[in-house]
Amino acid sequence: MSMSFATWLGALATLAVYSFLYKPNKIFSFFEHIYVGVGAGYGIVFGYNAIVRQGWEPMLKGKGILIVPMILGVLLFTRFFKSVNWVSRLPLAFLVGLGAALSMKAIESDFLVQIRATMIPWSSLNSILLVLGTVSALAYFFFTFPDNKAVRSTALFGRWFLMAAFGAAFGNAVMGRISLVIGELQFLFKDWIHLIK
Amino acid sequence: MNFLMRLDRRWLYVIVFIVILWPLIVPMGIPFRVSPGTMDAFKVIDSVKPGETVLMSIDYSVGGSPDIDPQAQAVFRYLMKKNVKVVLVAFVDQGVQFAEKMISQQETLGKKYGEDFVNLGFVAGVEVAISAFAENIPKVFPKDNRGNSIDSLPIMKGITSVKDFKLVTEFATGIPGPAEWIRQVGTKYKVPIVSGVVTVMYPQSLPYVQSKQLAGLMGGLRGAAEFEKASKTPGLATAAMDAQSMGHLAIVLFIVLGNIAYQMEKRRPVQK
Repeated sequence: MSMSFATWLGALATLAVYSFLYKPNKIFSFFEHIYVGVGAGYGIVFGYNAIVRQGWEPMLKGKGILIVPMILGVLLFTRFFKSVNWVSRLPLAFLVGLGAALSMKAIESDFLVQIRATMIPWSSLNSILLVLGTVSALAYFFFTFPDNKAVRSTALFGRWFLMAAFGAAFGNAVMGRISLVIGELQFLFKDWIHLIK
Repeated sequence: MNFLMRLDRRWLYVIVFIVILWPLIVPMGIPFRVSPGTMDAFKVIDSVKPGETVLMSIDYSVGGSPDIDPQAQAVFRYLMKKNVKVVLVAFVDQGVQFAEKMISQQETLGKKYGEDFVNLGFVAGVEVAISAFAENIPKVFPKDNRGNSIDSLPIMKGITSVKDFKLVTEFATGIPGPAEWIRQVGTKYKVPIVSGVVTVMYPQSLPYVQSKQLAGLMGGLRGAAEFEKASKTPGLATAAMDAQSMGHLAIVLFIVLGNIAYQMEKRRPVQK
């Protein structure tokens, strides 16, 4: 059995959280609150360190321009004061503009390149399925087209592809959850009580 | 079948618990194959020569770490074994701790901080930060996570932008993930990117492999086991594959039995 305090604490916290599977209880609630508190504290410390290291210290060393993002950051907090909460819209507008500008690169990476990648030679069953799947799934979302048999049939075909995609996504979700359980069991039975060699 | 409809769900938890735990204690050695995405990832990582520098972005949180941490560990161990230099960075705050844990393990094996690897730490801003980092690394990280000046670290000599890395690898549980890295780095700097994602993100990331925007893609714990198999460095992920297979078998059985019980219940004549 492990002699590490951190491992014992982690193991007890894991068991406390898993106790919810039996029924909701006070031990679970206690550790749930601790988890939320620790997460918030961790975030605050890292946020503070990031501001000091990447904003405050370089600013004091002569990078005066950094005062601008620092002030914009502080202005975000004005939303907590009713009389001046409109001020917080200024940095928010800046952030939205910046985000939108950066996302423009998605036109190439997520749109043009993806369309190009679908224009492939029909040399294998996979490539045929890829093209048919993309086209028919798109047809499923033709809401303003005239309702004719060709569009309906293609859309129905597209729905099958979508169902298969949802099934694959669900299968992966199950696989992911099982991986999480495996990770926790490895921690409990390997790191904590050393039952797994 | 009537009892199935009234079965307490906690029995299912007990069955899943036993079915997963048993193969972890008594390995069964169920064979598994390496998927093309992971094989591509391995080939690209394997092509990096000793002395060249690779970027590893540890963008995952504690919640999803059992699914993705084995991947990052397997890749990092392999790069260390090959004497490749690794620069670690995090755009998710909790990633810093995972990076520190990985490098401290290698330090006990004789690898040197600042020469073989460095942990630059965390920078806030997600996609904006990635964009800034890619353009000018010393500007975003004048100091590393341990407070050393970047200029004083031998590993950082000649590295000013993301173009100076032979390869970018990133491990994600959400945002930032492959989409953000491709948008801000792959599209502009044309550096090959290998991505490791949690299992739930795997299907949505696959189109980037098809379009060759990702040089390789690994999905969850299974991806870690596949990488360990391809690199012939078996570890915890390989040991977990039996448990994964048995867990899936149990879930499939539950779904089949549940559907049979549901259909039988539906067809039973209503009693008046």
